[in-house]
Amino acid sequence: MRHVLSYLKPYMKWMIFAWALMLVELLVELWHPLLMEKIIDDGVMKNDLHVIWKWGAIMIATSFLAFASGIANSFVAAYVGQQYGFDLRKHLFEKIQSFSLFNFGQFSTASLITRMTNDVTQMQNMVFMSLRIMLRAPLLIIFGMVMALFVHVKLALILVIAVPLLLVFLIWMMNKAATLFSRVQQMLDRVNSIMRENIAGMRLIKAWVRSTYEQQRFTETNESLMTRTMTVLRFVETITPVLLFVMNVAIIMILFIGRNEIHAGSAKAGEVVAVINYATRMTAALSIFTFITMAFSRARASAQRIAEVLITTVDIIDEEQAEGTTIQKGEIQFDCVSFRYPESEALALQDVSFSVQAHETVAILGETGSGKSSLLQLIPRLYDVTEGTIKIDGIDIRHLKQEHLRAAIGFVPQDLLLFSGTIRDNICFGMETISSEEMIQAAKDAQIHDTIMNFSQGYDTVVGQKGVTLSGGQKQRISIARALVRKPKILLLDDSTSALDVKTEANLLQALKTYSCTTFIVTQKISTAMEADVILLLKDGQLLAKGTHKELLKTNELYRKIVQSQLGKKGLDDVETSAQYDYIERK
Amino acid sequence: MLKHRHNMIILKENKRTVKENIQTLKRIWRFLSGQKGRLAVVIWMVMISSCLSLLGPYVVGKAVDTYIVTKQTEGFVSLVATLLFIYLALSLSTFLQNYWMIGIAQKTIYSIRTQLFRQFHQLPISFFDQRKSGELMSRLTNDIENMSQTFNSTVIQVISSTLTLIGAIFVMLSLSPLLTAVTLLIVPMMFGGMRWITNRTQKRFKEQQQNLGELNGLIEEVISGQKVIKLFSQEKTVISQFLIKNEQLKQSGFWAQTYSGFIPKLMNVLNNLSFALIAGVGGIFAFKGMISIGVIVIFTEYARQFTRPLNDLANQWNTLLSALAGAERVFEILDKEKEEDDEAEALDLPVVRGEVEFRHVSFSYDKKQEALRDVSFLTSPGETVALVGPTGVGKTTIIQLLMRFYDPDRGHILIDGYDVRQIKRFSLRQHMAFVLQDVFLFQGTILENIRYGRLDATDEEVIEAAKWANAHSFIMKLPNGYDTVLQQDGSGISQGQKQLLAIARAMIARPSILILDEATSNIDTMTELAIQEALARLMNNRTCFVIAHRLNTIQNADRILVLREGTVVEQGTHASLLKEKGFYYELYHRQFKKEII
Repeated sequence: MRHVLSYLKPYMKWMIFAWALMLVELLVELWHPLLMEKIIDDGVMKNDLHVIWKWGAIMIATSFLAFASGIANSFVAAYVGQQYGFDLRKHLFEKIQSFSLFNFGQFSTASLITRMTNDVTQMQNMVFMSLRIMLRAPLLIIFGMVMALFVHVKLALILVIAVPLLLVFLIWMMNKAATLFSRVQQMLDRVNSIMRENIAGMRLIKAWVRSTYEQQRFTETNESLMTRTMTVLRFVETITPVLLFVMNVAIIMILFIGRNEIHAGSAKAGEVVAVINYATRMTAALSIFTFITMAFSRARASAQRIAEVLITTVDIIDEEQAEGTTIQKGEIQFDCVSFRYPESEALALQDVSFSVQAHETVAILGETGSGKSSLLQLIPRLYDVTEGTIKIDGIDIRHLKQEHLRAAIGFVPQDLLLFSGTIRDNICFGMETISSEEMIQAAKDAQIHDTIMNFSQGYDTVVGQKGVTLSGGQKQRISIARALVRKPKILLLDDSTSALDVKTEANLLQALKTYSCTTFIVTQKISTAMEADVILLLKDGQLLAKGTHKELLKTNELYRKIVQSQLGKKGLDDVETSAQYDYIERK
Repeated sequence: MLKHRHNMIILKENKRTVKENIQTLKRIWRFLSGQKGRLAVVIWMVMISSCLSLLGPYVVGKAVDTYIVTKQTEGFVSLVATLLFIYLALSLSTFLQNYWMIGIAQKTIYSIRTQLFRQFHQLPISFFDQRKSGELMSRLTNDIENMSQTFNSTVIQVISSTLTLIGAIFVMLSLSPLLTAVTLLIVPMMFGGMRWITNRTQKRFKEQQQNLGELNGLIEEVISGQKVIKLFSQEKTVISQFLIKNEQLKQSGFWAQTYSGFIPKLMNVLNNLSFALIAGVGGIFAFKGMISIGVIVIFTEYARQFTRPLNDLANQWNTLLSALAGAERVFEILDKEKEEDDEAEALDLPVVRGEVEFRHVSFSYDKKQEALRDVSFLTSPGETVALVGPTGVGKTTIIQLLMRFYDPDRGHILIDGYDVRQIKRFSLRQHMAFVLQDVFLFQGTILENIRYGRLDATDEEVIEAAKWANAHSFIMKLPNGYDTVLQQDGSGISQGQKQLLAIARAMIARPSILILDEATSNIDTMTELAIQEALARLMNNRTCFVIAHRLNTIQNADRILVLREGTVVEQGTHASLLKEKGFYYELYHRQFKKEII
């Protein structure tokens, strides 16, 4: 809570100003009963119409003064609240932008969004409220208590005992309610997640005829949501009656004792009336307290969720003395690299070593889950190695600035991510200085230019949620163009050609040869792998074999099996022929 | 003239929505059936507590007048006892009204949720195909939550505010009609002021909501695209994009909050004004001997009792309206046409051999463009049928019709000689199992997800199926094995592994008809080999439909249906189709030739 509130510091002056304005309002309100007393005592009783006019006018004038300061308070409070929310969101977003992929794994997307929107709004509202009404209730109670003590100490003692006791009771109840509320929230999340799952997976549910099963599952959670909600709400609803009862009993006691005091001659009638009057006002203020504690405990939960993001330690940061050098060639060397995903036990990569010359093409083959994508992700430091080192142009990548490292890399991830915007925006993503010719060249090489030109808006076609829906293959080719337009020194293709038909893929691979970069291709297809300079064969995170197609055919049994499964027996027989093709092509 | 007509239209629209609101209220009322007795008790309690809360101060005043000011002693103890009783009854009735109301509200919400959920299962698939699930979901959760909160408090508040208002006016009128008229002077001021404010706030709130939505969208996009942003070092760019949206949100939020902040201030000033008016005007009246001073004192108290419920009502009105709008949206879904019921004499097939026939089937999703045109074929039980053709030719549509997610516009689909429309849906689908394009896994353990194929399968059977699907070895490598909990988005395991699980799930179902929709396109060749082997065992004695892009995986099919633009252009075995040298030949060679070179 403290951490999140510390962002209020710059607005301290404004907050004090807002409180001062609120105080003006409150004073007017407290002053009015005294004014009325004057009208009655000095005006009506003494038959002086002039006095009635005078004080009546003053009352109206001060009402407007209170109104004016209230309106001013609205502006200031809204200003502080909104500015505070703005700052919180900004800090959160900047923090999130510094997150590594591991950090992202610690929070779900949905929860990050809620933290940045709902939770911030919650804090913002609390600040807004506290500048306007929150202090009102405590002030009214304190003022009331002090005034009552001034009027008659013995009678006021009843209030001095009852009110703090009630406050303790209130806070205890609210704390208890907070835990109950969080249990309701949990259940609500479960109910909603079952609903969401059912909406998304309805086809499956229908096909498997699992309606009854799902409804049973839903009914159970829905029922316990109902009972939990009822429990907590009923619990909270006991507060007001208890509060009212205690205060009313206090009033009765004041009446009772007050009467005895009057009989004993130690109190005047007016004093008893005044203390009762203050007691009623305090009762009203106390019920506002319920509302305040509720808002406060909600804000506290939000503050905690916000703080969790803000205090997360980011695990991949630039070293202070990171070298400013940029990558020139693109030689890559893996030296005994082992890698384990954070919070996972098994190694995704184990003791992998190899080196690749600049401008070579490397194909990575292996089963699902053998570590192909993991290997690729280590190169741009999406994750850091657990053991060993990766060197590019002889420099450990941890000594490079992330920005410089990534600027030299064109990465086409497996999951197709395009941003909403035009195709041009997407291809030129992050490269403001790209000319149209360069963009079109990249698109041509990625085999997507013709498709784009078929759209009525060409490169200005809007894609994403509000625009054209692209097929998987089209998205793949646009992300390839996005990588190519940067003229990378290192190109990483993570199974990025899976949705392309064979002919397009061949053209693409042909076009890639004109780029002078080191290329890694994760692939399932032998036909693609055959064209590479080096093939890395992975199994269970280990580098099983490394070599050209011909070498592996000779030395590796597994590789031979894969070739056979895809190309048939012919594939094995054709070793000679394919070697000849290679030869012809190189010429 | 023109302006006049314009007003008319607005008036009409308002009337219409009022009518709609009343209808929605009536429907909610119907949900309360069985609880109406309780609701009556609650309303009764509210009346009692409202009366008691008006009575309390009156008795206190009387006590002060008679026993404090005049020092009378007779009957004081009994009056204190009465007072004690009133307050006890007040607290008790307040507690009970809330206690019961919460029960009523939550039970109602429960039954609305249940009905909605049941409705989902009765809606045709086209309903889900036409909507984004995320949007549907967020709307529903918000709407229901909104209704729930409104139910809990609003009903009681509205009733008690109205009662208090009436009571206060009544007492005031009986004390002094003239002073009441003076007090009521502030009512038009209040309405005018409220209107001025809400006219402004509504626009601002809408703007704020829109800006918040945009910001939300940006955050969502940025977070899900984080990998690309990192790879392209675009953190600074997105931060500056974010700051623009953040600034917009701040601006609209500032005005929305400022304007809405005026409301309590307005109420305050009106309260103070009425206080001053009563004191001033009342003073003059008293001066002229028209009223007593005591009346002024009571009046100031009741004037407060009068503006507070008015303010409450104005506040509650907005929440009530938004809750009603939410309820309407929920009802809209409840009113959507359900999937056609099974025919009355629909059959329950205990055993299916697996003979599938399409007879001149035509179908279109949008009634404009035909997805299937006059498709006919017959498969014998146990055959493996491969559907081949470029994307969008209707392969998936054939499967959708076979499972009766949609019904054909023309023609018939027969299974074992029965029209599928004569078979109960659950019976039809029970004999089928499938692996669809996008694997959908439920939040739960791997064991539960595989068992989804047949709920009464034992753990051993699940493991057996996983072994067959070659999923066992990767499952055992996971930290918790079969008890590993999968998240809803299936994160934690790869796409290929998800498919293995889906295959295991299909295996355990022991279907008569098996459907594989591009099931193997994401699995590496080595795993695929093993799966082909396992599938061969599974396909044995089962009718099997396979959709696959890679032609080498379907060469062993008994029958290949070649589709082109919604019609079957060729059918036969791999060898016979190659001999024909038609479209299949062309497709095959385009793909296979390339792989050799």
